[in-house]
Amino acid sequence: MLKTGFKPGANNVVMLHKTVPQVAQELHACIGCNECLLACPAVTGSITIDVLNRETLSGPISVPVARFARACYQCGACVAPCPVGLHRDAMMMWLKVRMLRSGWGE
Amino acid sequence: MAATNQRERNSGETGYNWPFFVGEGWFKLLLVISLGVVVGVVLFVWYIQHSNDASPDSIAGYTYAIIGTLFLLLAAVLYSLKRRSHKQKTVGQLHRSLNWHICFGVLGLVFLFLHSFGNFNLRTGTYALYGMIALALSGMIGRFLDRLVPRLITGEVHKALTVMGDDRIETISQKLQAIVVHNTQDLHSFAVAPAEKSQNASTSLVSLSGPVSSDFSFIHKDQALQTPWDLAYISLEATPQELSLEANHYRFIPDKKSELARPGALMPGAQEHISELQEVEQAMQRELFYRYVIRYWRKFHIALALLTLALTLWHLIYAGQLLLPVLLHR
Repeated sequence: MLKTGFKPGANNVVMLHKTVPQVAQELHACIGCNECLLACPAVTGSITIDVLNRETLSGPISVPVARFARACYQCGACVAPCPVGLHRDAMMMWLKVRMLRSGWGE
Repeated sequence: MAATNQRERNSGETGYNWPFFVGEGWFKLLLVISLGVVVGVVLFVWYIQHSNDASPDSIAGYTYAIIGTLFLLLAAVLYSLKRRSHKQKTVGQLHRSLNWHICFGVLGLVFLFLHSFGNFNLRTGTYALYGMIALALSGMIGRFLDRLVPRLITGEVHKALTVMGDDRIETISQKLQAIVVHNTQDLHSFAVAPAEKSQNASTSLVSLSGPVSSDFSFIHKDQALQTPWDLAYISLEATPQELSLEANHYRFIPDKKSELARPGALMPGAQEHISELQEVEQAMQRELFYRYVIRYWRKFHIALALLTLALTLWHLIYAGQLLLPVLLHR
């Protein structure tokens, strides 16, 4: 994610998002403790971590998960509490990209 | 037909379309805020009609000041504490806290505005009020940015990833590398191929040293020939003249007006890939910028809150200096 050594204004672009193999790896590493969802100020409830994990990478996206993905504003509050150091914001970003491509998009 | 409608509805629900600004819980939030504002304004109007003392230091003025300050304190403290709390939380609890934070913030501003009773002569109070207005506005803009900017980030990430979700820069770089390799091979075709070269080498050696040693059976296929010291000055590489004679095509430099002088003309496809690469890099830079917008707007809001707190304390100290002698001499 945010690589160190980035100097604003310099002409070096860093990879902020993650690719699908990286997202898949993180999803696989998720222990389902729910800490990210508990720390999230955007989620309104009625979502479980296993449903979110299942729908993040591929397959149909349910309405509650889609609502949550739209509400997620990439604040990064979910990253710090993760006990295994995963980046839920990056996983959510892939979900958003999927929604953008499937929905009314660009 | 029904299935199609359902699918369309679901596509809208699960897509990331633009009219997404109204999220969940906004109706309740607006209702509570409107209710609070209506109560405050009705009491204000009633007090003005039934009292001659319509000033910030009247009973109503003090009441509005205390309620407004309490609301602002609740807005600041409750959400901050809830975020930092290590107590057992439930999913969605922070979102509700955030809604209350907005609600108390807006109500606090309205009540403190009513506390002024239109009197903006006192510098400390006016500055504190301006700070609160700026704070509330920054919060509202922040919420708007929270909705807008992630959508923009998603658009940029969409450009930076392939359909399969791989890194597009890497994919383009690979294509570019393939083009470069292809073109390099084309250029190498001007030079002698390794097999051809070794054949030439042995031929040259045979022709040059034929009478000395004509039997080369002891040399392995991959073994390099040991060049005798007296032949070391003779290069086994084909000379450019030899190449130009042997090659069925030759390299030329097009004149400046030629279409072939256009950059990338001799490397077809490379220019398109390079511009595509630049587009992706720009998209990633924009993504970075949007992320900084979200992050620094939040810091700006916190800085404004601290400034407003300082201005409010200044106003309270100033008002206290005016009020305390009056209260003590009663």
